[in-house]
Amino acid sequence: MTQTTEKPVLVSVQNLHKHYGDLAAVRGLSFEIFQGEVFGLLGPNGAGKTTTIEIIEGLRQADSGSVRVCGLDPAQESMSLKERIGAQLQSTVLPDKMRVDEALRLFAGFYRRSASVETLLERFGLKEKRHTYFEKLSGGQKQRLALALALVNDPELVLLDEPTVGLDPQLRRDIYALIERFRSEGRTVLLTTHYIEEAERLCDRVAIMDRGQLVALGTPRELITRSGQGTRLELRLAKPVGLERLRVIDGVIDCHEAEGAYFLRAQPPAATIAALVHFLESDDNALLDLHIAQPSLEDVFVEMTGRRMEH
Amino acid sequence: MAAVRIALLTIRLVMRTKVALFFTFIFPLVFLFAYAGLIAHGKPEVVAYMFGPVVTLNIMGSGFFGLGIQSVMQRERGSLRRYRLAPLGPRTMLLSNLLANYLLQLPTLGLLLFCAVVIFHMPMKIGWATLLILVTVGTFAFAGFGLTIASVANTMQEAQVYNNIVWFALLFLSGVTFPLAMLPRSIQRLAMFFPSTYLVSTFQSIAAQSEPLLKHWPEMLVLVISGFFGLLFAMKLFRWEKEERISTRAKLWSGVFVLPFLVMGVWMNTRANPTATWSRSYNAMEQDSATGPSSQAAKLNLIEDFEGIQTSEELLRRWRLSADSDAVDYSVAKIQLLTPGAESTSHAMRLQGRLAPGPKNTQGYVSARCEVQVPANSKGLRGIEFETRGDSRVYQVAFQPPNVTQLGSLTPAAQVTAAVGPSALPCPLPAISFVPSDAWQNVRLPIAWLSNPRDRGLAAGPWILQLSVTGPPGEFTIDLDEIKFY
Repeated sequence: MTQTTEKPVLVSVQNLHKHYGDLAAVRGLSFEIFQGEVFGLLGPNGAGKTTTIEIIEGLRQADSGSVRVCGLDPAQESMSLKERIGAQLQSTVLPDKMRVDEALRLFAGFYRRSASVETLLERFGLKEKRHTYFEKLSGGQKQRLALALALVNDPELVLLDEPTVGLDPQLRRDIYALIERFRSEGRTVLLTTHYIEEAERLCDRVAIMDRGQLVALGTPRELITRSGQGTRLELRLAKPVGLERLRVIDGVIDCHEAEGAYFLRAQPPAATIAALVHFLESDDNALLDLHIAQPSLEDVFVEMTGRRMEH
Repeated sequence: MAAVRIALLTIRLVMRTKVALFFTFIFPLVFLFAYAGLIAHGKPEVVAYMFGPVVTLNIMGSGFFGLGIQSVMQRERGSLRRYRLAPLGPRTMLLSNLLANYLLQLPTLGLLLFCAVVIFHMPMKIGWATLLILVTVGTFAFAGFGLTIASVANTMQEAQVYNNIVWFALLFLSGVTFPLAMLPRSIQRLAMFFPSTYLVSTFQSIAAQSEPLLKHWPEMLVLVISGFFGLLFAMKLFRWEKEERISTRAKLWSGVFVLPFLVMGVWMNTRANPTATWSRSYNAMEQDSATGPSSQAAKLNLIEDFEGIQTSEELLRRWRLSADSDAVDYSVAKIQLLTPGAESTSHAMRLQGRLAPGPKNTQGYVSARCEVQVPANSKGLRGIEFETRGDSRVYQVAFQPPNVTQLGSLTPAAQVTAAVGPSALPCPLPAISFVPSDAWQNVRLPIAWLSNPRDRGLAAGPWILQLSVTGPPGEFTIDLDEIKFY
């Protein structure tokens, strides 16, 4: 993953709080996003991701805390900020009879600096659909249009709220490719998601949120390594062996047996596997099958919150 | 510039939506045809009078339902959110809505005008510039109304409720549906508080009485002020998100919107007294419709309807009185202008007096005479008719040449014979006797030669229409109205 920590800070959120009546949507959230990185806010529904991104976009006012985006205060300098950011809402609604190219031309006309509509149509695969009414577009086409609209002003910061929610796996991969291209163009991207694989695949750094609070922040690898969850090993042996003997192998954190298979958590995995093979040889046993599974951000979330992420 | 872009696109979107097209262009025509056909019965002058209410209705509809409801719908649907991500403020969004609403109003107005003029032969009594100013001011005022309602309504249902309450009040109590002059006095007083009244009455005063627009500057000013108030509240209370709610306090503040109407209503009720203007417009329309281009012949055939006369003195310039003697204590009579006249007319003439025979006669005599020009084309005419009521004496009406002298109580035919001899004149001269009742009734004086007067050399020069009463001593009263050839 890209090392971004030496780059300038583009978004700074410090001790952010937001309530809706009695509900605390965001509680003391702090993080920074560096220029050129893809930063993910990962968490289950209701974690406060959308509220946070909408405060950054200037759509909502924070109760307290400090937010600076591109050096501007979204609450006070909203118009200047909107010239520099591009955003895609969780659900983009346009008038039913508005055509794709009309929408792009209309919104491009609102900015001092704008991208070429033709280029956007080409890039987001909407050229064939340029004269299609919004109401006639499929879910994926609507989402591509929403992403294209986010780029009409050629922004330095792109904010994407759940960009792939509700899309099938193929469309999701298309969107991933588009976001990866944002990164390659040097744009800074903040995206919210509750898809683990999306965060792992796309994000340079991830902030895991739960119930309005930040529970972990770092690169996906850092978070997994830091979590102490260890690599999961699933093995089948020629002869049964006592669990107490497996637990004493170097690197084994935990183990249990189920349906004739042994499940181990190991850290570091390579040294643990070497020690395991050595133990089996000395015990005149043989390894019939071995599966190695890396821990995921899901495991990190479970470790941090004691709950699984509800999709 | 962004507002213009959005407005132009909004118009394009309307053109692509069948329902919007129907309500923007077809629905107003339905009202025009209903008003012009059912109420005006196709009479061009009445159509001209009703054109103001039709246009007002259209302007009201576009303000309440086109702009007001659309604004709430955009918010509820979530389409405003995308605009919110762009560097646009509430002012741009509101101005774009106002502009689109106004620009859509103009082709509708053109369509209404086209149909009114081409299909119903409506006379263009309002100048183009005046019409444009009225529509512009009206659209702005009712846009303010719609935007205020959209601002205070938290949901679509709430907006519908507010809209319907105001809509129906304005529809039935402000001259949009029923002519202001026909409304009961209490409703007229209430109507003075409604903006649609200002627009309708201005339209009708200009159309029916040819009043200048400037005379109605107070109404125009109030409409403009209310439009600004509406825009101000809409800007202050603008919400991008449907989840945003406005407080009851803010709703109450928006009540300031009606302040100009309250001031205007109080002023109209206490000082301005517009009901006389409303009645004049209505009567002028009635008169025009009775004598309008559709019945040009009827207008030419009118001898006297007393509508253009303001005082009894004016009457005496046209009608000459004579009695059996000028001596004191003989018959006396006077002519007065009577208000109102027969049925729905404004004025009539009253001939009133006392018959007192001189020492040589047993009966008194009084007559009133006026000059009448026989219409240039009197083909098809058969006589003179008029509306009358009075006491139960016997009255005579005659149509005679001007050189016939008054010869006391002789019958008209005898008078003519005595004056000029029978050779050159139709004999007997047209004359009838009648006894009026206390209710208005129509009396006809047949004139046999009228359908072809030139052949008999009678058309040139004025003739004299004479109403006379002969009888025993005592008071008499007779009223005349709507005297015309038939």
